[in-house]
Amino acid sequence: MIEAIRHYSTPADRVNPITKILVAVGLFLAVVLIHDPNHLFHLSLLMLVLLIVLSGVKIRYLVLLTATILFFGLISSLYMIFYGEGTSTLLRFGIVHITEESTVRGVHIMMRGVVLSFFGALVVFTTKLTDVFYSMMQQGGLRPKFAYAFMAAIRMVPIIANEYMTLRRARKVRRPLIHRKYISGYKGFSTTIITLLSQSIRRAYRLGIAMESKGFDDGPRTYYHRTSFSIIDLLFIMLVILTVIFSYQLGQWYSPFATTDAR
Amino acid sequence: MVRKNGLTLTDVLVTVVIALVFAFIYSIWGGVYTALEPLGLHLNQLLYGMWFIAAVVAYLIIRKPGVALIAEFAAASGETIVMLQFDVMLIVYGLIQGLACEIVFAVVKYKSTSLMVAVAAGVAAALSTLPLDWYYGYLGQLATWNLLLMFGFRVLSGALIAGGLAHLLYQGLKGTGVLKLVGQKATADEGL
Repeated sequence: MIEAIRHYSTPADRVNPITKILVAVGLFLAVVLIHDPNHLFHLSLLMLVLLIVLSGVKIRYLVLLTATILFFGLISSLYMIFYGEGTSTLLRFGIVHITEESTVRGVHIMMRGVVLSFFGALVVFTTKLTDVFYSMMQQGGLRPKFAYAFMAAIRMVPIIANEYMTLRRARKVRRPLIHRKYISGYKGFSTTIITLLSQSIRRAYRLGIAMESKGFDDGPRTYYHRTSFSIIDLLFIMLVILTVIFSYQLGQWYSPFATTDAR
Repeated sequence: MVRKNGLTLTDVLVTVVIALVFAFIYSIWGGVYTALEPLGLHLNQLLYGMWFIAAVVAYLIIRKPGVALIAEFAAASGETIVMLQFDVMLIVYGLIQGLACEIVFAVVKYKSTSLMVAVAAGVAAALSTLPLDWYYGYLGQLATWNLLLMFGFRVLSGALIAGGLAHLLYQGLKGTGVLKLVGQKATADEGL
């Protein structure tokens, strides 16, 4: 599915999934600790550059993605812009009180989300989901039963989706015949979810028993798909660290925000 | 078959599937969450409990150590799996919330399936991520009434959705008879 919208493969494909996840966690911590909006501004720009260069995704999809990320980022920071504390008022409308400080803080929170979303998108575009679990087993020491359970469950998602659609269509056809409460409201919700859950549990149980009896359990095993660490992992970590440091330097050089502390 | 006390592959698989069902439902109805956001009045927090309902439901069904944590991790990464959207924040939050539920369940020694335990776990999970939100979202700099509103809505949602609704769903599932297949079997002769 992802391969369809990519037009070339990049070195980021060969980075071990564990490295990517650890770097993502590190980036999360770094972003929480950054209080200078100028630093974060340049970091989000550089992350966008990394996404464009390293993901290999066709540009029109990236434009769409960037627009979505910015839009949802803005929405999720509105609470701070509207109700944050501050002294220099820009606009007062009923309970809404927009100040200069709260706006900067709101934009800062938005940029935090944007940085993480860009990096997250890069990871999704360059990683095969099954490789995550293979490398967690082979390099991360995860017990095979957990990894195989996850992989099997992932394969069930399309079935769940299918079942949901069937359920919806069935309701649509019967709409004139049944009471409204079975379609909307709590009853509608619980009948949908209990049906989906009970079917999925049954299926998972059958599959689980079959997998256990075929030896997808713990114990020493060999792998057809192999993942490993290489020099590229080191380069990837260095690249992200350098990006964070470089964006700080850029923030000193060109500061779109007057303040250096969003708090 | 030899009875094992730890988690078997089947237990893990059932847990993950439960979490993914919730992740799927959430990704369909998640638009509501976003639609409630622009007002900034934290109405979206009323649905906050949906994030960790999976942990409570999975625990009520399987009742083994570690289930809540796995369910929460799976529900958080479910977004990546279902929507192809990788968000580290979600996974970090999910792990913390799962851990909070896990602590509550450990206190009752993984035995009780009462409504109170579910509610307690929901509230614990709702409270667990506040410190992180405090730093990430600069909540200290928010107008006090707004902060209290958010706080109240979140705890209420944890209790009602992750606690109450989860328990209702558990009762419903019990009615279907599917729970005889999984989890801690009370009696060995409970047939299939």
